Amino acid sequence: MPPRSPFSSTSFVSLSFSRELHVVVLGAGGVGKSCLTAQFVHNEWIESYDPTIEDSYRTQVQVDGRQVILEILDTAGTEQFGMKSLPSSPTALPTNSRVVAMRDLYMKTGQGFLLVFSITSPSSLSELESLREEIIRIKDEENVPMVIVGNKADLEEGRVIPRAKGFAVSQKWGAPYYEASARTRTNVDEVFIDLCRQMLRKDDETAEPDEGSKIDALKSANNKRRRRSKFRDSTHPRCVIL
Amino acid sequence: MLSDNRMRASLQVAPLDLTKSRSEEAGDGSSSNNQTPKGESSLETSHLRSQMTPPVTPNGSQEDLSSVPTPHMPPIFHNFLRAFYPFHPSLAMADSSVTLPLDEGDVVLVHSIHTNGWADGTLLTSGARGWLPTNYCEAYEPEEMRSLLKALLNFWDLLRITTIDEDHMFQSQEFMKGLIGGVRYLLERTRCLTRESMLIKRCDPLRRCRKSLLSELSSLVKTAKQLQDLQTVAFEFPDEVNDVVDQMILKAFKVVTKGVRFLDVLDDDKRAHASSHTINTMPPVIEETCVPPTPPADRGAFVVQTQTVPDDRASAAATAGDEASLASEETNAVVAHPVQPNRWSKRLSSLNAPAGTHSNRHSQASMTQMNRLSANMAHRLSLAGPSPLSRPHHLVSERLSKSHDKFLSHLGSFIGRLHLQSQSRNELAIAIKQSAISGGELMAVVDAVNTQSSSMINALVSSRDALLDRIQDLVCAARDTLANAETEGADIIMPQDNTIMLNSATSCVRAAGECVALTKGVIERSGDFELESVGNALPLDLMVLDAAAPRSRTPSVAERSEAASVATSASSPARRPSVVALDKPLPRVPGSQPDEESTPPATTPKTSRPSSVVREAVSSPASSATSVGRTLPPLPKLTTTSIPPETTDNGSAREQDLHSSFDSMTGSSAGSSTTYLSRDSEVSIVSQSSTRATTPDQTLVPRNQPSLSELSAAGSSTHTEEVDDVESKLLMKTFAHELVFNKEGQVTGGTLAALVERLTTHEATPDATFVSAFYLTFRLFATPIQLTEALIDRFEYAEESPQTSGPIRLRVYNAFKGWLESHWRDQTDRDALKLIIPFAETRLNATLPSAGSRLLELTTRVSNEGALVPRLVSSMGKTNTAIGQYVPADLPLPSSIISKSQQSALQSFKAGGASPTILDFDPLELARQMTVKQMDIFCSILPEELLASQWMKKGGAEAPNVKAMSALSTDLSNMVAETILQHSELKKRAAVIKQWIKIAQSFLELHNYDGLMAIICSLNSSTITRLRKTWDAISQKRKEALRNLQEIVEPAQNNKVLRTKLHDHVPPCLPFLGMYLTDLTFVDIGNPSTKRVSLGSESEVDGAGGLTVVNFDKHTKTAKIIGELQRFQIPYRLTELPDMQDWLSAQFQQIRESSQGNVQVAYYRKSLLLEPRESLTKRETAESPATATAAAAGRPDIFGWITRDRVGQNSTPQA
Repeated sequence: MPPRSPFSSTSFVSLSFSRELHVVVLGAGGVGKSCLTAQFVHNEWIESYDPTIEDSYRTQVQVDGRQVILEILDTAGTEQFGMKSLPSSPTALPTNSRVVAMRDLYMKTGQGFLLVFSITSPSSLSELESLREEIIRIKDEENVPMVIVGNKADLEEGRVIPRAKGFAVSQKWGAPYYEASARTRTNVDEVFIDLCRQMLRKDDETAEPDEGSKIDALKSANNKRRRRSKFRDSTHPRCVIL
Repeated sequence: MLSDNRMRASLQVAPLDLTKSRSEEAGDGSSSNNQTPKGESSLETSHLRSQMTPPVTPNGSQEDLSSVPTPHMPPIFHNFLRAFYPFHPSLAMADSSVTLPLDEGDVVLVHSIHTNGWADGTLLTSGARGWLPTNYCEAYEPEEMRSLLKALLNFWDLLRITTIDEDHMFQSQEFMKGLIGGVRYLLERTRCLTRESMLIKRCDPLRRCRKSLLSELSSLVKTAKQLQDLQTVAFEFPDEVNDVVDQMILKAFKVVTKGVRFLDVLDDDKRAHASSHTINTMPPVIEETCVPPTPPADRGAFVVQTQTVPDDRASAAATAGDEASLASEETNAVVAHPVQPNRWSKRLSSLNAPAGTHSNRHSQASMTQMNRLSANMAHRLSLAGPSPLSRPHHLVSERLSKSHDKFLSHLGSFIGRLHLQSQSRNELAIAIKQSAISGGELMAVVDAVNTQSSSMINALVSSRDALLDRIQDLVCAARDTLANAETEGADIIMPQDNTIMLNSATSCVRAAGECVALTKGVIERSGDFELESVGNALPLDLMVLDAAAPRSRTPSVAERSEAASVATSASSPARRPSVVALDKPLPRVPGSQPDEESTPPATTPKTSRPSSVVREAVSSPASSATSVGRTLPPLPKLTTTSIPPETTDNGSAREQDLHSSFDSMTGSSAGSSTTYLSRDSEVSIVSQSSTRATTPDQTLVPRNQPSLSELSAAGSSTHTEEVDDVESKLLMKTFAHELVFNKEGQVTGGTLAALVERLTTHEATPDATFVSAFYLTFRLFATPIQLTEALIDRFEYAEESPQTSGPIRLRVYNAFKGWLESHWRDQTDRDALKLIIPFAETRLNATLPSAGSRLLELTTRVSNEGALVPRLVSSMGKTNTAIGQYVPADLPLPSSIISKSQQSALQSFKAGGASPTILDFDPLELARQMTVKQMDIFCSILPEELLASQWMKKGGAEAPNVKAMSALSTDLSNMVAETILQHSELKKRAAVIKQWIKIAQSFLELHNYDGLMAIICSLNSSTITRLRKTWDAISQKRKEALRNLQEIVEPAQNNKVLRTKLHDHVPPCLPFLGMYLTDLTFVDIGNPSTKRVSLGSESEVDGAGGLTVVNFDKHTKTAKIIGELQRFQIPYRLTELPDMQDWLSAQFQQIRESSQGNVQVAYYRKSLLLEPRESLTKRETAESPATATAAAAGRPDIFGWITRDRVGQNSTPQA
């Protein structure tokens, strides 16, 4: 029995000013994205995790002094067949269109997206490509808060996606790249916090939907992101030491 | 003046300078001594600060105590501290906080530690709660005690938070197992488990300590039983329940205290033994008192008695008074206090606890039912009775209750067995005989009451006669059955013969209830009286039964069957009938050795003082003098308050004081956020319950100080026989300490052996949730072979305890039976047959021949046919009743909505003609046929497909039905898109959308949420929603309907809307499968499969003390979700239209074939072709106000298109 923190109960206060933001966690099956979600929302002082209650995927975080309620949407468990289907076999299932349909629903709801792949699986990164396109298609804009996560960073010996590749993708998509490990709980909070920042920033920007400023904001956001991803690059060792 | 100032100053010392104090402490212990007074004066003005300063370390060498929180150390929270130095706050200055006086060696349960070094703790010896200086204490967690200490923590948590409503937990008595297991662990570790162990034989004090520990434990067990029985009347007497709970907590504390004491003595003995062998020849008392450094923790027990005497203990003390005073004489006690019966009875009369703490098996029984039947009455009666203590068991009311209870328990177990098992003739005969005998006793009591009361009461007489008739009926029925069985030569009475017996047994119960109620009324009117002996008023010859079952004469069989009958009746505690006990002579008191309690405290002035001295010392400044004079430096001046002096004589007043001051203290600690470490963050919130241990007695009657002899008597109060009982319980091999419970009393973890033990528990019917979860999931934590081995092992070690081996073995057999009958999975479990068959042939066959052959029969059947009763694992056949309940079979099926032309269209399609479209049919009928199709697959989903994310692995090969279900829903989604996009005419597309909305509405009416989800997802996909012109052609009303449907499947707040709908939903209903899959995935991912249990404090997690157990909580959660899903596996009562089914299948097949590859992209392209993208600028202007509104409303954009649509139509954005 771990000592329960006397402060844990005090973190859920003052809901009046806090924003509610929806984050969608996406990625191929088996990349451990649900572990990431579970790790993030699971209060470590609580011994067991029950995903069937209303706040199972809600958590409150503080980002740059602002209280934010994050609700994580994760279709874990329903994407099973898409990755494995064999088009040649007559009994095989079609591509995960059902999941895609569900995903549509989630993507519409979501304001920020966590794109998760596994550094031990090359296909999981290429999967992200189409996911991102889908997001942009559904959201109907380029400027969608996103974070790319290379999960399973604790399995360095099984790595097939070099870190540089991750950063290249990051540059291309204009979204920050993190290497995380749900197992060792490395960078788990960080990816969500980063996403939160982006969502809050976007929120602030859309408050003034003037055409010109929007484009400016878009540009500056891109610049910021690039800056940030470079920043990640420089603080690289933090991700490496796992 | 000066003292006044001092006092105020001391109240305002802030915790702030404690950091300083600590750092100074670390540097130089002596300098910190001067620090406190300075701090006092300088901080005089800060009123809001905490009122406590810790006393500085009395000894510089103790500064590295791990229990003192230091900033540079990772905080380690010790649950138990032990004082190594006495602490007696000398200045009683204010009542704003309570400090706890400590004696050297006192053990304290810590609730929280303040940053200033003070800890909120409960003294185990007294149950008093208050603040204590951690620097006077060291962590207490000897390896041997770990299990017991841990059990105490659980016990405390459980009892403290539980309200009396949650009686199921009390029924199970699970919380007792931990403590018993802890004591067992302690004795096992110290190699003192049996009385015959070398150590025990060698060392007399140790033997006595052990005995006193066991008697304390048995006293606790007794109280627990009392509580269990009180539960039945809990709603009437909540106070009593609370009282009993208080008693139990105190008793649990005492058990631990005795354990500590035992360990101390053992250590002393070891040391003494090692250093000198001559010491053995010394008188034990001297040996005990001469060893300097270990003040017996038990000494504090005297303080307990003075402060908060638990009710039951007092009465126990009374009954055992003679023996105890005898004992104290023998040990040359300095002061031999005379027994004062009048005082006891006076006290007792104010108690609700029954007087019956006599120590043979009767008393247990009488206490039990007295409470169950009418605690209130028993209370009144004992008040009225002349001397409840002198002969506590002969009151007629008690006799009545006792015999009634016995009768009921016999009948109850008998009925239970009739329901459960087929049984042998012998067993049946014995059970009937026992029932009849106890019934006769009951009637004898009734008769006695009748004669005693001046006027015969007619109603009573007639009800007595009725009872007699019923018993006669029962015996006759049993005789007939037995005779029948004999003529048929069968050894087993099959359940079908039982109906008559069952009926007569039930009517016996009813008649007895009426009769007893009437008798009680009579007693209450005419007054209680004593009744010496009870005869048997049953004018029946029970020999018929004996004749029918000749073998039943042998006592061993009798005992075994008795034990079995006890086990099968869930609620009756394992106790022997008093028929047996009456015949049996009282057991010899082993030796005339005095109990260690009677060691005169006065002979040991250095380490212990009489309690009265302690009391004085608490309130007088002179107290420090008593403890000074040792090598330690003088105590620092204490600045905190103490117990007000005037309360020393008046227990209840003091308690109230404690109460109020404690409350205020809790308030202050809750207000300050500086509590450093806490075992439980609830501590400050539940102040009401946390005072429980401090106030065990709510009565306002002032209590006198108990005399010393009374106290010394208390220790030896429990009779040897009960000690033996507990001892035999202890000797029972058990894995109970390897089991983990949560605060609701559910098993959350355990080793395989412990879980198997739980599965085959003899004390109660195993919890259905646990059993189903176990069977469903055991393959995730054990191989079938391992399970078999564990079960066989359980069967073997049951032998060690003859009393319980019978029921346990039956349970083991039942466990095998249950597995083979309804949970067998041939492909994985086949290997286990290699072990099960020999077991059934030899071991089981030797003990329970019929069970052995039945099991063998089952093994051959499973190897031929596989599972016999497949499926419905976790709902345990609930479904069958559910069908009957929800869908009456006689309800006419809804008539199909299909016209002749539609029928012929389907016919022509079948013959190879053109295919009709979905527009050609009635949406409700379409929805029905699709639902039938889906439900067909849903019902065939097996629970094992849902385990361990099975459907996600190997392409779902192990989960074919989950896969099929998912595929069908996918097809449905695709069909929606396909049918809409295939039309190039806008009007047609709109018509199809409209049709799908109607079908979705029908799905909702049918409670087909999976289908609803499929349609909504598709309609809401960007592919379809972007067809704005098409949507424009759809009526506002229709879109509104769609919006309502969408709200149901909205994923926000963890599918809150859908979950609420499904909760307690009545079948038939087709829930959204994906939600269960996600839940199961997260249970699987979010909970580790094993957990480590530290037997002691959590600081030892990585040490050898930890134990890795199965995280059963995870499996329980999994089983719960699967059970929820299974609840809905009931087919709809709908007429299947074969032609339409065929047509639908063909449509789905076509969709499936055409939708290979990235179908979504294809659909999107199609969608773009149908309605090309509008120019960016145009859309921007049309959209931006709408998006702004959506964003402003803080809503997710899920209905953005609708809002957008409305903006386009009437330009009034909807908020």
